[in-house]
Amino acid sequence: MNTVYYLIMVPMVYLAVAVCLIGVIARLIALGRAPRHPHSLAIFPQRGPRFLGALGDTFGMPTVRRHQPLLWFFLLLYHLAFLVLIASHFDLFPGIRILPADSPHMIGAGAVGVVLTLALFYFLIRRFRSPIREITVPSDYLLLLLLLFLVLTGSTISWANSWNSEAGGFVITKQDFGLYLDGLARFRFEDPREVLYGSHYIVVVLHVLLANLFLILLPFSKIMHTFIALPMNRLRRGA
Amino acid sequence: MDATQKQELRRLFASRLTGAVRMYLEACTHCGTCIPACHAYASEPELRHSSVGRAENIRRLFWRHFRPQGRLAGWLNEAVELSEDWMEKVYETAYTCTGCRRCVTYCPFGIDTQQIQSIAKLLLIGAGREPQVLSMLADMSIAKGENVEATKASFTQAVQGLEEEVIARWRSEAGREAIPIDEKDADLLYVALAGKHSIIPAAAIMNAAGENWSLSYFEAVNFGAFVGNPEKTREISQRIIDEAVRLGVREVAICECGTAYRVMKFMMGELPFRVVSFVEVIARYLREGRIQIDPRKTEQRLTYHDPCQIARNGGVMEEAREILAHLTRDFVELQPNRVENWCCGGGGGLVAMGEKEFRMRSARVKAEQVRATGAEVLATACENCHTQLSDLNEHYALGMRVAFLSDLVSQALVASQ
Ligand code: HEM
Ligand code: SF4
Ligand code: SF4
Repeated sequence: MNTVYYLIMVPMVYLAVAVCLIGVIARLIALGRAPRHPHSLAIFPQRGPRFLGALGDTFGMPTVRRHQPLLWFFLLLYHLAFLVLIASHFDLFPGIRILPADSPHMIGAGAVGVVLTLALFYFLIRRFRSPIREITVPSDYLLLLLLLFLVLTGSTISWANSWNSEAGGFVITKQDFGLYLDGLARFRFEDPREVLYGSHYIVVVLHVLLANLFLILLPFSKIMHTFIALPMNRLRRGA
Repeated sequence: MDATQKQELRRLFASRLTGAVRMYLEACTHCGTCIPACHAYASEPELRHSSVGRAENIRRLFWRHFRPQGRLAGWLNEAVELSEDWMEKVYETAYTCTGCRRCVTYCPFGIDTQQIQSIAKLLLIGAGREPQVLSMLADMSIAKGENVEATKASFTQAVQGLEEEVIARWRSEAGREAIPIDEKDADLLYVALAGKHSIIPAAAIMNAAGENWSLSYFEAVNFGAFVGNPEKTREISQRIIDEAVRLGVREVAICECGTAYRVMKFMMGELPFRVVSFVEVIARYLREGRIQIDPRKTEQRLTYHDPCQIARNGGVMEEAREILAHLTRDFVELQPNRVENWCCGGGGGLVAMGEKEFRMRSARVKAEQVRATGAEVLATACENCHTQLSDLNEHYALGMRVAFLSDLVSQALVASQ
């Protein structure tokens, strides 16, 4: 079992990051190289500066706000929380500091996970209702489930983090994760068990496994919208 | 479906895979925001009448035939293989969608279902399943372009027969033809439809404005675009481009035909002349004081339907309001209007194909929207819309008069004080 844990916690992480980066870049190159559309795809009237307008459309999602306010609320909440989540994971690396080095918490102190969980639940539940149900394909459900378990395991770790050794053994601190990630960043190939010695190590392994899967699937999934939402919105603005 | 045919259809599909279309096919999150955008869905809430519902028919083929994940784990995206049966779905995508692009204004990414629909249309041509009537009409237009000389005399004669009616609306100066044809160095080439309703009012208006114009030999309508055949679309437009270049005009004005305007203005690349819709021309004459109209001549309450291809997809919206402000004192807007206006339900070749039953069913929202204004006259600026709105008027007993903007203007022309 320890070997499996090790494979997930170290080599697979490298594999996932590589697949994700190479996959996304290759996809973007392929899309960029595809022939230009032969005519304008603009919607009129065209007001204001094009690029800024497209940025606003991409990050403010005004069309969803107008037509599906509740979805818009959760979308914004979710996507903002996701951004914070990425930042907070970088913050774990000892070399990158956003919060003070001795802070026991991740950015948001657990709130980010709660927000993401709520939003993902909402996304999932609305998929069971008509007419969204009929346009949903298996990958939509699976992706949401993957993310849901990813944030749930994350939140469990974050919650366990707030325990201390006197209270029952949940002792993997933010600084310990920092050591693990630092080892990864420096390609030391050490067994993470040496720095992550809490009794809920299995949850950490699960979390990393799900994150690896997410990264590997990303370039092949609709999450590619992250990178092409802006170019598509520029087309509508007449670029 | 045998392997060669499949290969051929795959090739046609691939010919449409521009960067934009690939993104539209790959990035839909199935969020459903676009569903209520379509008039067909709003009239009859069935998913196959929604934007994403139609696009999925093509998207599922795309996964299977163009992406590795569709081949390895097709069930994830419900990928499907090209087959005779599936072509029924392709037909539905192609010919229940009017290409109005209203859904583009709902989608958070701006996914353009019309471009996905155009793949469907091309696949049907490849399988020989496109509506034959549209292909035939397109071929007739092209044949006419190849034999201009043979038809010139009869065309000129037919047009001369209309001059009296033009003069009845506006008596032009002595020595000027009421409908000039083949005028070298004219400033403006007017491209009409095969029907006097699209020639007489426009001629009267241009004569009243003292325009140095010429009538094109060719009709504006582009059946190549309706059937979705890019080569035919180009050939049909090219006839007009050649004529405009030969006459050396500075401007080509497309009559009240939405698709013809969009194709010429946006799809033909750089042209050595300006392309305008006739609505813009009328608005310009009014702005420059070249024509005057008497608002008392249109006493009934008036509303205006923005044709999708001219307004949302062509940018001509405020020009129509300028004209309407001169035309009547009792104007009421449709709700919603301009970019958000409901499609009439007749575009994309549906009117030319007949399809009356579907057109009436799928445009119930349009009829209700029009009825709610309490207007007596429903003006518009597109041939397709005019036909469809007239059919709706009858079918839903709206009791209105459907009129072209140019017709209303030409009836209200008065001499400048
Ligand atoms: C870090 C980058 C991003 C990630 C990881 C991400 C992830 C996600 C996920 C997991 C969903 C839920 C899908 C579902 O409901 O099944 C989603 C939905 C969505 N995202 Fe993103 N996204 C990102 C960036 C963006 C950006 C830049 C936009 C800009 C327009 C955007 C727009 C949307 C929209 C419109 C939906 C549809 C909601 C739905 O599916 O019900 N996303 N995104
Ligand atoms: S382009 Fe118009 S008709 Fe076609 S799906 Fe979109 S809203 Fe419906
Ligand atoms: S609004 Fe756009 S992303 Fe959402 S289902 Fe419709 S086409 Fe797909």
